[in-house]
Amino acid sequence: MEWTLAWRLFRRELKQGQLVLIILALTLAVLSVTGLARVSERLQVAINGQASKFIAADRIINSPVLLDGTILQQATKLGLKLSKNLQFNSMVYSGDEFQLVTVRAVDDAYPLKGHIELTSGVTDKLPLPGELWYESRLAALLGHPDTVELGNSRLKMGAALSRLPDAGFNIFASAPLVLMRLDDVPATGVIQPGSRVTYLYQFVGTPAQLQAFETFAKPLLTSSQRWVDVQSGDSPIASAVQRAERFLLLSSLLGIALACAAIGIAAQSYCQRHYDVVAMVKTFGASARQIRILFGMHLLLVTVAGVILGLLGGFLLDALIMLALPAEIAAYSAPVLRPLLLGVATGFISAFMFSAYPLLRLLNIPPLRVLQRQLEGVKLGMWLHLMLSLLAMGLLGWLYSRSLTLTLTVVASVVLLGLLLGVLGLLLIRMGQSIGMKTTNPLSLALAGLRRRARQNALQLVGFSSALVLLLIILALRQDLLEEWQKQLPDNAPNYFLVNIAPEEVSPMQTFLQQHAIDATDIYPVIRGRLSAINGEEVITSEQKEQGQRGRMGISRELNLTWRDTLPRHNRILQGHFNQAADEVSVESGVAERLGINLGDALSFVIDNQTVVVKVASIRAVQWETMQPNFFMIFTREAMAPFAYTSMASFHLNDNQKNVVLELIRQFPTVSIIDVGAIISQLKGIVSQVSLALTLVLVLVVMASALVMLAQTEAGMATRQRELAILRTFGASGGLLRWATSLEFAILGFVAGTLAVIVTEFSIWLLKTQVFELNVYAHWAWWLMAPSAGATLVATLGLWRCWQLLQKSCGELLKLE
Amino acid sequence: MNNSAIKVSQLVKTVKTQEGDLTILKGINLDVKRGQSVAILGPSGSGKSTLLGLLAALDTPSSGEIWLDGEPLSGLNEEQKAALRKQKVSFIFQSFMLVDTLSALENVMLPAELAGIKDARDKAKRMLERVGLGHRLAHYPKQLSGGEQQRVAIARAFICDPQVLFADEPTGNLDKHNADKVADMLFALNQESATTLILVTHDLHLAQRCERQLLMDDGQLFEQRADSSSQVIGER
Repeated sequence: MEWTLAWRLFRRELKQGQLVLIILALTLAVLSVTGLARVSERLQVAINGQASKFIAADRIINSPVLLDGTILQQATKLGLKLSKNLQFNSMVYSGDEFQLVTVRAVDDAYPLKGHIELTSGVTDKLPLPGELWYESRLAALLGHPDTVELGNSRLKMGAALSRLPDAGFNIFASAPLVLMRLDDVPATGVIQPGSRVTYLYQFVGTPAQLQAFETFAKPLLTSSQRWVDVQSGDSPIASAVQRAERFLLLSSLLGIALACAAIGIAAQSYCQRHYDVVAMVKTFGASARQIRILFGMHLLLVTVAGVILGLLGGFLLDALIMLALPAEIAAYSAPVLRPLLLGVATGFISAFMFSAYPLLRLLNIPPLRVLQRQLEGVKLGMWLHLMLSLLAMGLLGWLYSRSLTLTLTVVASVVLLGLLLGVLGLLLIRMGQSIGMKTTNPLSLALAGLRRRARQNALQLVGFSSALVLLLIILALRQDLLEEWQKQLPDNAPNYFLVNIAPEEVSPMQTFLQQHAIDATDIYPVIRGRLSAINGEEVITSEQKEQGQRGRMGISRELNLTWRDTLPRHNRILQGHFNQAADEVSVESGVAERLGINLGDALSFVIDNQTVVVKVASIRAVQWETMQPNFFMIFTREAMAPFAYTSMASFHLNDNQKNVVLELIRQFPTVSIIDVGAIISQLKGIVSQVSLALTLVLVLVVMASALVMLAQTEAGMATRQRELAILRTFGASGGLLRWATSLEFAILGFVAGTLAVIVTEFSIWLLKTQVFELNVYAHWAWWLMAPSAGATLVATLGLWRCWQLLQKSCGELLKLE
Repeated sequence: MNNSAIKVSQLVKTVKTQEGDLTILKGINLDVKRGQSVAILGPSGSGKSTLLGLLAALDTPSSGEIWLDGEPLSGLNEEQKAALRKQKVSFIFQSFMLVDTLSALENVMLPAELAGIKDARDKAKRMLERVGLGHRLAHYPKQLSGGEQQRVAIARAFICDPQVLFADEPTGNLDKHNADKVADMLFALNQESATTLILVTHDLHLAQRCERQLLMDDGQLFEQRADSSSQVIGER
């Protein structure tokens, strides 16, 4: 019977528009979560897809030995596409000429993503059997032969290579690169047991397949084998993608918090509206169980309606956004299930947990209210409401982000906002005592109204402020992230690298660059060396460690070392001072952390079979994303004086300066020129996609904030209705009431704006230091803008609602009550 | 006692206010026979509604005892009181207390459905026809006049055949014409179903239609006599 009643009550209330506010709030919550989840998942897939072209695959396993067969079997079983590559250094001969080259031997599946670029353009083909594709400088070095010898094989010089999709960042490779077929390698006989080779296993698949594969394969890898994905930190894309993902996640989290605020407001007024009904049915003898079922069921129906509408809205939103996105992003299909489940969970968790407290109060309404209308029953502790709300928000945040730091940061901001508002609310209540209603002028009427309704106003402040806070946070981070990326990839970011500049060529090269007005970086000397000991303790390679050798871990490969008199641009000293004495070295912070290197440690390097011992004078932060020559170790000129070196630099050329490159090649035939323009444009492509995503998220959050504010104004208006009616009855002019209402809302909006700026600055500081690793600075303009915008926005909303009410006669107004 | 619908002994109700304790009811005694109609008159704030709330088991006294249909209320918890109200009691309020979102028919059905009566809809229809609203079953409270709304409330009050009906200023919000119509209906149905009626009112005219008139003044209850003199009921 209660079910029938609940259903009837729901149907009737729905028809008469009484459930609009709460269903709208729920719809908004589900819509923003589903929509944002859907959009951000799609963008993540798209961004990862774009970025994975840089590694020519989704995942790579990098191994010095053949990979365990079970791993490859599992990959096949999971339906992943696989490409096997081999990379090694070897000599090629042509007559009397010979040259060390880096050989990349690939199977038919290569490349799984992206394209091979030849000097003649992009190709989908591979070298034919018996053929070799080569970097043009190899041909120059060998005197343009038709064939070359590699081990026992004679291979035909096929096409001139411009770039491999996954070789873009190997700019230090001093040996020219050649590409050949994997099947041709055994015949050359160059790979012998113990040869230094790298096996590259590249994989492509759906996110689910990749996830399953990662879970299976990663634990089986030895320490010398490396798992590589687009975010492994090796590519300049990695940190861009990571930040973008975190930002999308955060926006969605804030979307959830916003939705929660909307539901909190709506649930409160939803329950208040049912006080009389509960009192009445209790009077007629309804049992506690009957009332629980009646309203539990009613809320369930409301929630289901909100969830269904929200899901539909979310997918509609996604569809609309897809229309606005470039076709290549829209083409990536993202999983549907997670956004769907998240939406449903959001609807139910937020509806029930935010309604729990108002609902408990509702169920505790005494039947005597039918005679004494002011009775509202037992007031349960507000802390219960607070705990439940925070728990709901935290739970949803964690479900969504699966990141505790991010969730806790958001919840901490909410708590701070609550505390601030609590204090302010209390102040207002104190001020409000013994102040009556003045009707002399709009301002005193507004102030009196504010003080009298201090408790409600404090609640409204929560709504207005949270909407503004979220908006500001998204705005700030979006701007900062974009600026940061823009800084790293300015229009004049270096798009060419010059390597292997011989010492005697440095000066002519500088002259050449100056003559052609080319904006180049400093020229850095490069010396190859190996870290052999830390504080006298010999370091071992990962291979040695696997063979059971004990000792401190070092770096398995040779490093590019440089010397400089001054700290390079884009580098920042974190600890210590830049090299002063001859035996000092500056170490990059990442490698220092990985190897446990501290200030004052003695590092031994083996260069040209000689050992050099230096002291760590500084730990240095390097921006790897910038297209600048960057180094792990910077020595002093004196320390490196005994060793042979080549030099490198990077510079930017406009499209109309391309002929300079040809001239450069002619004048400096042995210098390697590496074009990274393609990589830069791909990077810029990713940044612009992320920018688009950020803008979309911003628009969504603006919409959500506006709706919360509207709901909040609506809730505030209900309590003002009776007062408006009375004042109107006693002859207050419409103008006075409109002014008073607008002023009251404007003051509320102003306070909300001010509070919002305070909380925003705090939250941004937390987020930037803990999550995004961005520079922190205050947004002074906001301290003026946010309160003014808050006042204008809230006053407009208030005035609009007041206008509607004042269109009605006194009788109608009183009847509405 | 078996013949008493309501019996009250030494009923006291004290409430806490900012100025200290305030005793609203100061030792009330009352005995209402089954089927009797009793009007409680008195100035505003004299404690009429407080007494009504206590008699109807909506509130708990500070001391004293109330028997409703022979059953003492003091030992009952809220759940048991609700069950008792469901079985034996009904209400009519000054402000009608109809659920805005339910139609006239659904409002009348409500207590019957809560009580688990199977043919609630048919019964509600008959009740509405009985109060002359058979043609307005699907109308919502806002579409009805004040008099019509109170007639819906009367139909709702009688649908479960209560033994005791409490009416709090049932004509207080109505003009004279409607007030008379509503009163006629209330008394007619009351007589038909032999319900005990406890009616709180300001309206002397309405009070005089009851068998007994009690005057509430300063927390005490006086029996109005035919000769217009009054006697404190509590004095023995």
